[in-house]
Amino acid sequence: MNLARITRRLAGLWLVVVLACLVHNAWHWGVQRRAPVTDLLAMLPTDEQRPLATQATQALADAGSRRISVLIGGGDWAQAQAAADAFLQALGDVPARHRVADADQQTWLDLYTPVRQGLLSAEARARLTAAPTAALADQALAALYQPVAGPRVGRWADDPLNLFGLWLSERGQGSRVRVQDGRLMLTDATAPQRHYALVLIELPGSGFEIGAARALLPRIETATRAAQAAGATVLQAGVPLFAAAASDQAEREIHTIGLGSLLGIVALTLLAFRSLRPRLLVTLSMAVGLLVATSVTLLWFGELHLVTLVFGVSLLGVAENYGTNYFSARQGLAAAERWTMLARQIPIVSLAMATTVIGYGLLALPPFPGLRQVAVFSGAGLVAAFVTVLWWFPLMDGQGRMAPTRFADWLGSRRALWPSLGRRGLTLLGLAALVLVAAGAARLRVDDDIRQLQSAPPALIEQQREFARLMQAPGVAQFFVVQGATEQELLEREEALTARLRGLGLGVQAVSDWLPSLRRQHEDQALVARRLAELRPELEKRLEQTLEPGSSANANADARPAGLTPWAWLASPASEPLRAQWLGRLGAGPATAVLLRGAESRETREALAALRLDGVTWVDKVGEVSGLLGRYRALMSVVLVAGFALTWAALAWRFGRRAWRALAPTALASVLAVALLALSGQVLQLFHILPLLILLGLGVDYGIFMLEQPDRRATQPFLSVTLAAASTLLSFGLLALSGTPALRAFGLTLLFGVFLAWLFTPFFMPDHD
Amino acid sequence: MKRRGLLIAPVLAPVLAPLTGLLSGSLPGLAAAAPADLAQAVRERLRQPEWLRGEFTQTKKVTGFAKPLLSRGDFVLARGRGVLWRTVKPFASELRLTRDEIRATQGGQTAMRLEAAREPVVRVINSLMFSLLNGDVSGLGELFELDGAVKGAGWQLALTPKPGALRQVLRKVDLEGDSFVRRIQLFEANGDESLIELANLRPDVAPEPGLFQ
Repeated sequence: MNLARITRRLAGLWLVVVLACLVHNAWHWGVQRRAPVTDLLAMLPTDEQRPLATQATQALADAGSRRISVLIGGGDWAQAQAAADAFLQALGDVPARHRVADADQQTWLDLYTPVRQGLLSAEARARLTAAPTAALADQALAALYQPVAGPRVGRWADDPLNLFGLWLSERGQGSRVRVQDGRLMLTDATAPQRHYALVLIELPGSGFEIGAARALLPRIETATRAAQAAGATVLQAGVPLFAAAASDQAEREIHTIGLGSLLGIVALTLLAFRSLRPRLLVTLSMAVGLLVATSVTLLWFGELHLVTLVFGVSLLGVAENYGTNYFSARQGLAAAERWTMLARQIPIVSLAMATTVIGYGLLALPPFPGLRQVAVFSGAGLVAAFVTVLWWFPLMDGQGRMAPTRFADWLGSRRALWPSLGRRGLTLLGLAALVLVAAGAARLRVDDDIRQLQSAPPALIEQQREFARLMQAPGVAQFFVVQGATEQELLEREEALTARLRGLGLGVQAVSDWLPSLRRQHEDQALVARRLAELRPELEKRLEQTLEPGSSANANADARPAGLTPWAWLASPASEPLRAQWLGRLGAGPATAVLLRGAESRETREALAALRLDGVTWVDKVGEVSGLLGRYRALMSVVLVAGFALTWAALAWRFGRRAWRALAPTALASVLAVALLALSGQVLQLFHILPLLILLGLGVDYGIFMLEQPDRRATQPFLSVTLAAASTLLSFGLLALSGTPALRAFGLTLLFGVFLAWLFTPFFMPDHD
Repeated sequence: MKRRGLLIAPVLAPVLAPLTGLLSGSLPGLAAAAPADLAQAVRERLRQPEWLRGEFTQTKKVTGFAKPLLSRGDFVLARGRGVLWRTVKPFASELRLTRDEIRATQGGQTAMRLEAAREPVVRVINSLMFSLLNGDVSGLGELFELDGAVKGAGWQLALTPKPGALRQVLRKVDLEGDSFVRRIQLFEANGDESLIELANLRPDVAPEPGLFQ
């Protein structure tokens, strides 16, 4: 009776706390409209975080995230154009870019022609520096006499060496896209008879907001079929396509896996308790856990990371055990008997809870803010769910006698099927496990590369790959950030960097190629003026006539124009293609991103990461995130081992020398789960190790519940454990069917682990007969 | 995602255009043929051997120059392979147009190189060059409106570029010949004029197979 009164008091108090958390959550998400932090690198130790890298990556990603690019063709140019027309017609009023007007082309020349004296291609600079005047004259005259010369702007006499034309050609090398018949055209480098028309579709909003993309995708699909009907190959690429594919997949899985899991769990509850109330209350306990966990984490850290939410919610799944155990124990008892039952169960469930919280608490030890958040979140959530079961369930579980169902009786009595394995039996089991573990160890592979987690449909990836091959565009996953105190210092540093990179044989896309530093422009101007002054008499001698110098050449040589400034460049529409690489102010000064082609191999990336130049930072998002996953995986493994040790200590405190019987089944299940994963060909990474921590929490609970009543005739503990395990398998285990690699890894580990832990636990119980 | 470089393209169009002006309007198969009888008459008079050798004299009038620019040399024309244009006077230089590239060399050193894989316009330039030297009427008919006359063994063609980018570069081309093309006169839009006279034309019986590799 005493317990009943205390429980009522505490239940009221707990209600106040839960309501406060509810208000806090509503305030944070609803009123302040805050969103979870999503940057993965925020999970790194603070001293290793590089806001520079994060901001630069963000700026670059934003620029391309709303664009879908489509290549149409694959045959001759006439066919490509006809197919593109069919595509555009089917696309209707969706804004798409595919033409280039003469006026657009003129803006380029308007920007660069007045400053052409200071623009030199690398080759021309080298030639002007080293070549004798006679050789320069040969070259200039050959171009004059030959029927076909290099691309040239303006008159020969203004620029006899065609320096401006060479500079523009060098710029053109940066892209494979050309303008033909006023259209954007791409030609396959390895099969020059194959041509494609390029169509760019810019979506409103961000690429990660899939709403806009969703609305347009069916129309792009229709247009694609129209182009295919015209005999063309169609290649689509762009972030919105991947975002839409991912959300499609998630939706499909919610419909299949999610619904299957829900139906299974409801059916199980109905069978076992002939009532939905237990299921509703167990769900309530977990919801309260989530709510309180969110509030505590927000109050503690001031923010909530998306990863915390995802991992934390999974870790909270262990709370399932407490509610299920309550109802298994309550079954067959009259309402009044619940208090004696509760008094008996409190120490058991408390121990189960404590062992799990200990394991999760260990996550807070490494200096990773991400893990600390996860530890606080899941710890707080577990305690809250536990408290809800203890203080609320007795007041909400109905007044009648919960009659035992035939199914529950039958299920509980299956306990008798498990013999208690003696010393010999356990040794045999251990040996069999050892063989499996050895086989698994032989095939164990570990790879933390984030790209392992790529889950887009293969057809989409294939299109993206072919698109990238045709375009030969630089990557944005790895790049350099260059900083300077002033814009000119920045550009000079960038020039030093690009010279080094080109020396390594890499393709480079950099702002300073289009906007050289003023120092370089002035040096080039001086070089050109000097060599032209030497060249002119030589040319006149050979041509046997005086040259009438061009007006522009004359004016530029004398007046030495100021050159192209960042301000003028940024203001011109001509800078649009590279403007995303002009990052603006980052930290103390302006910054740019230098993009690379051909830097995919690991060796190259390592060599680039080792490059040390003033103001230059290597950013390798893929590498950093992969490294982060690897470090988390290693840390998790250590935490796991420590978790087992501490759990053993906690168990020993209650069970004494029998403690190993509660722990060993889970330990065995964990090791075997890893062996089975390895044998089934899974490449291990963080998402295989993380669920082992959950398995520790879950499996030890099974051990505790059963070790409290180890008798083979006791049906209640086995019923409780079996129901809990079945629910876990139906919720987490079904994730093994997911198409998302991280979820699949998670689900598969728990599928093996939970099943094995449930299977082994009764074997390890002592024999009372 | 990663196609920031593509708008570099517009800049190249006006630059490459003066090369030949062939950035547009050159759709094979779409152009109407020249007046059938004229084209047929010219075709009947022409010999178009697989390999043709000859000598040229080029007189170029360029704005900014008081005197015309005179050059001489020889050339090799190989059907389906390319054109070799070898200037001997006033100094030696070579221009080689093949399926895959245009390459200018001086004293064995490359002075300029355009690859078809990078600049698709290279193929169009090469086919124009070949058609002009070979008198390929159907090839020319795709790019130009043809007018002209036939007189005995000789013929004359006046070529006016069809609407499109070619017109921004080339005003008119006059072509004259008999069993071979003898005279090509180019009138550029900027006022420059070139007269190319071909002489000593002979089908080659012993071609150099490696010439256009």
